[in-house]
Amino acid sequence: MTTIAHATIVMERTYNAAPARVFHAWADAEAKARWSAPTPNVAIKYEAADFREGGRDVVRCIEPDQADYVATVHYLDLRTDRRIVFAEEVSNGAARVSAALISIELTPKGAGTHLLLTMQIASFDGADMEQGYQFGWGAALDNLANEF
Amino acid sequence: MTKRSTTHATFVIERDFKAAPAKVFDAFANPQSKAKWFGGPEEWEKSNHKLDFRVGGKESVSGGPPGGTVHHYNAEYWDIVPNERIVSSYEMHMDKTRISVSLASMEFKQNGAGTTFVLTEQGIFLDGYDDAGERERGTRELLDQLETYLNK
Repeated sequence: MTTIAHATIVMERTYNAAPARVFHAWADAEAKARWSAPTPNVAIKYEAADFREGGRDVVRCIEPDQADYVATVHYLDLRTDRRIVFAEEVSNGAARVSAALISIELTPKGAGTHLLLTMQIASFDGADMEQGYQFGWGAALDNLANEF
Repeated sequence: MTKRSTTHATFVIERDFKAAPAKVFDAFANPQSKAKWFGGPEEWEKSNHKLDFRVGGKESVSGGPPGGTVHHYNAEYWDIVPNERIVSSYEMHMDKTRISVSLASMEFKQNGAGTTFVLTEQGIFLDGYDDAGERERGTRELLDQLETYLNK
């Protein structure tokens, strides 16, 4: 019997950089591979990157002594310097562990940017992906500050 | 500049169908079956239902009242477990405006000879063109059409 667990996670950060720079950090796969690794022992490798509506990324998350997590991202709605919406599916080895709908909203705040990240997650068959998303994206958003 | 807004919402609809899970699943998986119930109200013009039911496959259909706004549905399938689970994402356009994107999870559970069907939609409604209440109402109507088809 299969089961699906649904969750919504919201995160907010404020960065000392204008929305255009924050948006660029999401659009540029090289920058994103740098800041989205949650811990120093995890390597992020973009096997495909196509940041446009209808475009697709394939992102491999490599951690020693573990099966790689592979995320397939499909960009659905992009508004330059304002909004990014994508769907993604995550597999771990042969098992598909989750699908999620993720939105990033950027709002000018003084000379900086307020970022609102909302993740709507469906995780499959007991995979504890809510915790995974919480930890992974929380660390990534903290790292993103170092880009500016 | 258009005012941008992004509203997130989740709704869940549970239905008990007399048909077995395999038949209910077929109504989603088989393009001929799905075309019989999936679409707007009877009086709408409907065109180009295309369904490639496999992981990574896509689906699209357009429809609307004669001479009125055309509603476009574009979906992609992310996870399929035959007779048990379907997960897709879909976007809706009204004419050329994208009004929402959603993650739809469908679960099919054996219940006696029939099926308990649970649909969970996690949606993002964009720029104020639509909202979760309206989408849930429309989705309930679609499931009524599904039930009519299953009972035929």
